[in-house]
Amino acid sequence: MNNNEIMIKVCNLKKEFRKAVKEPGLKGSFKALFKPKYDTVKAVDGISFDVKKGEIIGFIGPNGAGKSTVIKMLTGILTPTEGVCTIGGKIPTKNRKEYVKEIGVVFGQRTQLWWDLALRETYMVLKEIYEIPDKEYKERMAFLNEVLELDSFITSPVRTLSLGQRMRADIAASLLHNPKVLFLDEPTIGLDVVVKDNIRKAIQKISEESGTTVILTTHDLEDIELLCRRIVMIDKGKKVFDGELSELRRKYGQMRELAFELKNAEDSSKLTYDKDFSFEEGDLSVEMNGSAVKVRFNSDTVSVENMLSYTLSKVHVKDINVKDADIEEIIRRLYVEGGEADEAST
Amino acid sequence: MRRYLKLHSIFIKQDLKKLMEYKVDFLLGALGFLLGQAVQIFCLGVIFSTIPALCYTVGGKVVDFWTFEEVLFIYGFSLIPKGIDHLFFDNLWGLGYWIVDKGDFDKYLTRPINSWFYVLCEKFCVDALGEIVVGIALIIYSTLSMPANIAGAINWWRVLPIIAILPFAIMLFTSIKTATAAISFWTKRSGHVTHMCYMTNEFAKYPVKIYNKVVKTAITYILPFALTAYYPAIYILRGESAWSLPVTVAVSLAFFAISQFIWHRGLKAYESAGS
Repeated sequence: MNNNEIMIKVCNLKKEFRKAVKEPGLKGSFKALFKPKYDTVKAVDGISFDVKKGEIIGFIGPNGAGKSTVIKMLTGILTPTEGVCTIGGKIPTKNRKEYVKEIGVVFGQRTQLWWDLALRETYMVLKEIYEIPDKEYKERMAFLNEVLELDSFITSPVRTLSLGQRMRADIAASLLHNPKVLFLDEPTIGLDVVVKDNIRKAIQKISEESGTTVILTTHDLEDIELLCRRIVMIDKGKKVFDGELSELRRKYGQMRELAFELKNAEDSSKLTYDKDFSFEEGDLSVEMNGSAVKVRFNSDTVSVENMLSYTLSKVHVKDINVKDADIEEIIRRLYVEGGEADEAST
Repeated sequence: MRRYLKLHSIFIKQDLKKLMEYKVDFLLGALGFLLGQAVQIFCLGVIFSTIPALCYTVGGKVVDFWTFEEVLFIYGFSLIPKGIDHLFFDNLWGLGYWIVDKGDFDKYLTRPINSWFYVLCEKFCVDALGEIVVGIALIIYSTLSMPANIAGAINWWRVLPIIAILPFAIMLFTSIKTATAAISFWTKRSGHVTHMCYMTNEFAKYPVKIYNKVVKTAITYILPFALTAYYPAIYILRGESAWSLPVTVAVSLAFFAISQFIWHRGLKAYESAGS
């Protein structure tokens, strides 16, 4: 197995939607009915990246950034306006049927299982759809059973499964034909901590043992931290970051959070961090809520010690809490910067 | 092709199993359909109890007429191609009403089988068996109760070519549903368009000649449902309209080609839904 083999190639992918512009209210709707006006919305605006075989990449971005649109183009559901994506050299718009044999897809909010039937039936149908030979099917089923622990509910109708069971069953369904690439769109949405953990472990194990390349979109940054070495982040249809998670941390890991509980809520006006320190934009954010004050700042610019002594010299505090920057904080900063980069370019 | 037949039978089996899970729903559906048909046939009976036959007149002169039994025969025949299409390919309705609108069409595109085929055969609509059974029953009943002179005109050899064109008659239904359902790829919803087109087949259950030019042209050439009902039925009964047989084949193929074209253009325009 060549570990540097490129599995997915995405080249200058673009997708535009034509949206009808309506004025509000019933009157506006009537107007739009007779005199429709259209706007072109660039949902995805020139995205390129490569994914190596066996990689697990985290594909992230704020809501409406174009994540789902990219995933839907990569899974052959949407036709790109411009650009191409290939998996193992195959192009979805040219030969969708061959292309989708190479991929497995799980949309966390939607199930692909046959809702009214016993779970086992879904796998039997998929076996036929993907023309999996008996022997392979048995081996694969045994493996998935072991990793995802389907045994206890494989004979239950799908509609009776709990969300966690359903997600495990869905992941197994997407992996039955041993695809080269697995797309997971919000696989841990709505799950409790223990189930989330099990699912993450399963994904990791599958990727290791089958060499499956995984593209994971999520808003749960713990998913990213535990599973992905590399992340690709997009915002407003453009790529804003592509690199290793550790690089992100090095670059943006200097953020700290100080939380104070003031003795007198009125004192909060005395704290003018933005005037008394010269932070660059995005390096400082202050939240004041009654007697609770939360300050996030770049500890490269001002040390934690200085920040503390400044605050203590101005006000009386009941409680102090110092927090390290977590990945969530980093992403938040990136979202902000992505927005700025976009504004600068227009 | 063989693979697709196998898949189709698997889908049917799955759907039958599903049916076993929802028995009451099925029984109520079947009962509703039977009641609906009974009312329609009862109405026909009431009308014909006061008139001897359905006449087509030009300038006050009777040019052609159909007895109650003949009308029943045509009515019964019309249910068969429609029922078979309904039985196997009912899922297209869902496409125009909610599958595209809700973005559920995604799932059909992530499988390595033809998307049209997948949508088509995912649902097996057992309710339609009622339609087929009623159709066959009406044909048998009307034939048995026909006056001797009308029954004597039937040449049963003429059934063979009709059986041969039956698949094309069914395909006409399927193609019209496909084409109108595929409009939803652009408009998100097109169920009502399908419904509107489909409903014109109600006209085709009766002798075409009784209609004015507009309706006659519409159901013979534009949405040619008459080709699936009146023409083949009257061909069996009287040997009339033999021309309609090759026309049915040609028109059906043309509709199929057009519907496939619209479908494939539609796939490129499909926008899914936000998740």
